[in-house]
Formats: sequence, C-alpha cells, structure tokens
Amino acid sequence: MKIIDIAFKDLTRSFRSAFAIGMMVVAPLMLTGLIYFAFGSMTSGDVSMTAIKVGVVNADQLPPESVLDAPIGDNIRSMFFDESVESWITASDYPDETSARTAVDRQEIGVAVMIPQNFTERYLSGEQDVQVLIVSDPTLSIGPAVVEDMVTMMVDAVAGGGVAIQTVMERLEANGIQPDSSQFPSWIERYGNWYRDFQRDLFHHPDKAALVLVAPPAGDAQTTAPLAQMMGLTMAGQMIFFAFFTGGNSMMSILREEEEGTLARLFTTPTSRTSILTGKFMAVFLTVILQGLVLMVAGRLAFGIQWGSPGSVVLALIAQVVAASGLGILLISFVKSTKQGGPVLGGGLTILGMLGGLFTMNIPGGMPEAFNAIGNFIPQGWVLKGWRLALDGAAAGELLLPFMVTVAMGIVMFSIGVVMFRRRFA
Amino acid sequence: MKAIEVTNLKKSFGAFQAVRDASFMADSGEVLGLLGPNGAGKSTTISMLSGLLMPTGGDASIMGHSVTKDPEAAKKSLGVVPQDVALYPDLSARENLVFWGKMYGLRGAGLSSRVDEVLEIIGLTDRQKDHVGRFSGGMKRRVNIGAALLHKPDVVIMDEPTVGIDPQSRRHILDNVKELNQQGMTVLYTTHYMEEAAELSHHIAIMDKGRVIAYGTHDALIKMIGEQTRIDLTLNAEAEKVLDAWRAIEGVAGIDATDGKVTALVDDSNRVLPRLFDAASKANVRITSVGIQEPNLETVFLHLTGRALRD
Repeated sequence: MKIIDIAFKDLTRSFRSAFAIGMMVVAPLMLTGLIYFAFGSMTSGDVSMTAIKVGVVNADQLPPESVLDAPIGDNIRSMFFDESVESWITASDYPDETSARTAVDRQEIGVAVMIPQNFTERYLSGEQDVQVLIVSDPTLSIGPAVVEDMVTMMVDAVAGGGVAIQTVMERLEANGIQPDSSQFPSWIERYGNWYRDFQRDLFHHPDKAALVLVAPPAGDAQTTAPLAQMMGLTMAGQMIFFAFFTGGNSMMSILREEEEGTLARLFTTPTSRTSILTGKFMAVFLTVILQGLVLMVAGRLAFGIQWGSPGSVVLALIAQVVAASGLGILLISFVKSTKQGGPVLGGGLTILGMLGGLFTMNIPGGMPEAFNAIGNFIPQGWVLKGWRLALDGAAAGELLLPFMVTVAMGIVMFSIGVVMFRRRFA
Repeated sequence: MKAIEVTNLKKSFGAFQAVRDASFMADSGEVLGLLGPNGAGKSTTISMLSGLLMPTGGDASIMGHSVTKDPEAAKKSLGVVPQDVALYPDLSARENLVFWGKMYGLRGAGLSSRVDEVLEIIGLTDRQKDHVGRFSGGMKRRVNIGAALLHKPDVVIMDEPTVGIDPQSRRHILDNVKELNQQGMTVLYTTHYMEEAAELSHHIAIMDKGRVIAYGTHDALIKMIGEQTRIDLTLNAEAEKVLDAWRAIEGVAGIDATDGKVTALVDDSNRVLPRLFDAASKANVRITSVGIQEPNLETVFLHLTGRALRD
C-alpha cells in the first residue's frame, strides 16, 4: 500500500509541474504540429495555387481555301479559356503585342501568349521558323513553364492531326479509294475534339482517360495517405524521444527528494527502503504509460494518426514503457544531483535519439546503412522499429522481435539501475 | 523502561570519529536537551537514533527497541523533525500531512481526523489547502513538526527546529514542544541555543567533539562550576597582548578569545574585574566594553571545554 502511496504522490507532483507537463505532452505535440503545418499542404494533395494570369493576342487568320474550319490560333486561345482550367488560369484577350507586353511589364498578367498573323497558313505549309511568342514576368517560373507546355501540347496535337489525315489518306489510296477532301475538316475536328478530351481527362480524371497509366502495386505503407504516414512516424518519433526523457525526469524525483531532505525523512519512517524504491520505480512506469496514452489519443484526434491494430499498439507501447523507464532509471542511478541530471538527460537522450533514428525517419530514401546499423544497439532504435511496424499495419506477431529485444534491453538497464540505487541507499 | 537509551554509541566516517562512546538516556515523558556547538556530533547521533545511519559501535534504543536490531519497531515509536524543512513544496499542507501519515501506517478516517488535530496543533487549519512552497519559513517549520506528530509517537526527535526563523514562529515551536511534552511525549531536542535547552529540558546532555562531556539536570550542570561568573570583554587591540597576564590572575578559572571578544570564567567578578583592568592597562590594551553574566549552560560549556559555545 505504501508503494502505491509513494507512486501516487510522485505522479501528483509530476502532473503539477509545468515543466514536466511541457516535456511530457506539450513539447511532442507542438513539434509534431509544427511539422504538420509545415508539410501538411504539400503532402495532402490539397494543392492550392495562385491562378496564372495569361494574356492572349490571337492575330491568326484562316488562310483562303483552307480545309480547316478555324485557324489553329483559335484552338490555342480557347485552351486558356477552357472551363477545365478556369480554377488555375485566368485568361484575357489583348488586341496586339504592345498592349500585352505592357500588361506583363505592369504585372497585370504573368504570361502573354502571342499568336502571329498567318500562323495557320505558315504552320501548315511546313515552315520551320513559325513561332508562338511567349513573354513572361521574369520573377515567375512555374506559370510560364505551364503555359509553354500547354502551347507545345496544342501544336503537337495539330501536328498529330496532320499525321492522322496523312495516314488515313494513304490507307484509303492503298485500298483503291479516293479520299474526299471535303471530309478533311470534319476529320481534323473529330481528332481535335478527341485529343482535347483526352488531355482534359488525363489531367482531371486520370482514371477515366482513354490512356490509363498503371503503376505496379505498392506496399501497404505506400498506399496510405502520405501525410498520415509522415505524421504517424513523426509523432511516434517525438513520442519515443519524450517518453525516454520522461522516464529519466521522473526518476530524477529521487534526486530531488534527496536534495529536499524528504528522502532521508522517508527513511526515518517505518517504511522499508525496498518499498520506497519500488514506489519510485512504479511512478516512473505509470508516468510513461500515461504520457504514451495521452500522446496517442492526442495524435489520433489532432493529426488523424492510425496507430495500428490494438495488439501491435499494446506491444509497441509496452516496449516503449519498459525501455524508457529502464534507461531513465539506469542513467539517473549514475547521477549525483539534479544539476548533473539535466545535462545527462538532455544531452544523453538527444544523442541516443539521433542514433536511434528518431529525427531522421522521414528523410526520403532513408539514412545510410551504417547509420541504420547503429540503431540496432540503441533502445530508441528498437522502439521505433516497433512503432514503424505498428503504423504500417503489421500484425502483433510481426512486432514480436522488436518487442522482445526492447523489453530485454529495458529489463537489463532497469536491473543495473536498481542495483546501483540499492547500493547507494543501503 | 527508558524512552531513549544511548549506550557507548560510536560513528566513524573513515578515520574521522564523529561520535565517540556517547551515552545518555531519557525517561518517558521528559524533554532531553542535546546541547553542543556546530560539529559536536549531535546530528550524527540523531541520525543513528532515527535509523538513517548505522552505528559503528554501541547501541541505542527507542522505547526498548534497538535501532540496530529492530529498527522498524524503533521507527514506529519515533517521530523525527529534521533540521531542514523536509516537505513537498508542490503539495498542500494537508496533502503533505496525509502522505506522511500514510508512511506511518495511518489510513482512512483515522488519518483524516488526526491530520485535522495536527493542523490545529500547529495553527495552520485555515491554510491547510495552500501549497507548502508558498508558506513563510516559520509556517514551513510548523508543518515540518506536524508531520512527525501524526502517528502520536512516544518519542519525538527535534533537530534544531528553530534555526533561521522569526521570533514569533520560534516562540510557537517552543510552546508546541512544551505542550507535546505535557501530553506525555518524550522529546529529544537538539540545539546550540543554550536558552532553549535551559527553558525546555528536564535533562541536558552536552556534546563536544563527538563526546557527551556532561549530562544532568540544568541545576546540576550549573552546580558543576560552582558560583563562577562569566565576563565578556571587548578590546581595542589583539587579545594575545594581555591574555597570558589575565590567565595568571588569581580567580580566573578559564579564558577564551574569539573574533576580538574575550570570555573569562571567574570565581568572584567583583574581585577579579579590577585586576583585569590593571593588567590590560599595563599591556597598553584598552577594554572597550564589559558584560557580566551569572552562571548558565554556556558558562558550563566554557568551564568544560575552555571554549565558548558559540565557537
């Protein structure tokens, strides 16, 4: 009973300490939140982009006796006014090159697309230097590149239409059929419509496009939303780092009690030293468990993190609690005072956390193998392995190896710490 | 049965002997003053009695329970008030008392009513919900004492409980000690203030350099030095110029000089004082102030050790 009284008293003191609460709960949530807000919009797919302002000068005209119904310039122009791009392109017409250039200079528009007179005639006649002029604001990079790609795409479509008609004519002649040139405009129009719809679907509804790109199926982890996956690992890293800090900081209460004189006073009561030490250890375990539960619930509510199946989560959490408490007790058993304890915990756990991969788990491509190998000797590294598996949706059985390694490490560290403390307070 | 019995108690730290064959005792219901200068071995002795340190030799018992052979039973009969406040600053006065009560095995309604009683004794009922960290030094001392009284111990050890506090709180604590003693508790009260020892104690043990150099009632200790009077002198020059001449004067039983102040123990101050002035005059030393004090515990200490208690 006295063991529980001592543990409860330590818990009460911990949860009344603004510093302890800050390091246990607020700091990991804040750091994860910062990462969430920094990278959230980039990885969620919810891309918001400032609309590209495009000015179009279309001086193109249909040459006399053309097989086309409308000049190619009209097709290029209509591309920027199409309803499918109106959410990210704002287009307006300009009467001539001078007014369009002036608008770019005044930054009223970002890009000016100038289609010269007789563009259709010269393009169809096979001239090599026929050009659509694109003038852009030099401070912009993405907008002009997008516009250039769109113009190139449309010109390629026209060229493709030409190739298509040529092929149709050759096939008809090969079969002894004389092509009817009056049909050319309708063929080109049909091709043009098909190509435009194809491009539109490819951009907006890739799954409905005529050409569907199929990538090899990825692992389970890669099929989850990238933001959720990144936030899960980030939150796990923060939770592990601060769980180890909490383990050490909670155990440091024994040093605080020694300095406050309450430990000596406890020894004058009819309470065995074993009970006193056990009560202190129990407080460490309970604090780390509570911290883990609070962070997991907060991570789920704040960042939508799916921690994994119940069995996996329980194993990962137990492993974390045993390792964090064990290392905390071991480290503090070598420390003489709270003044020493701060740097030992802050410095020691930060280095171990780095070596365990807690701060580098989201680096694309991962860390070098040599660095990852170091993590096999660090408790934090094994705890992270467990959480990584749990977050990837692994079954509890798959966590057995990291669970057993972590718990074994924790028990060894705890045992050494207990021996040290018993000698110290014998 | 003696409430406290200390027999040839020894404690060494390496080559240093902090307590050497200390022996004293206290009957049930009495206040025993343990008097001595800083470093005399009082706190080490108390640490052994309260189970914090294991004696190197000898033994001590609390209500018949040996602190070496049956420490748990001894601790149950004992309440310890440490020299420095030993409480949890982030818990309220009541929470502190409840916790310490539990450590002495109290539970439930009995604990709650006893905490109420102790809060009444220490005069902090109306501040019981405030965190101890926000209390004044005197109030902390009172809670510090209260935490040792929860289980109604037969023996209370108080280690210099009035050091560094205001006169009002000091008076409150001294009154508490008297009240507890009147209720039947045996109190071992350590102090280096001889007035406190004189006011509270039925018996006094005087310690110096790890030894108990005198033990007895206040009156018996005073009688040890007969009618000797203490004279305190301040000089305008170094005492060494005149100290040997003064020692040679008939009627000077002891003399000690510290920090420019000289303390002399004399048989008859009326007869000796003019001779002290004569000798000072011959040595070209001027006496700038004189104080005469009737025999007291400080005089006893000076008589026994040749040094003032304040040393």
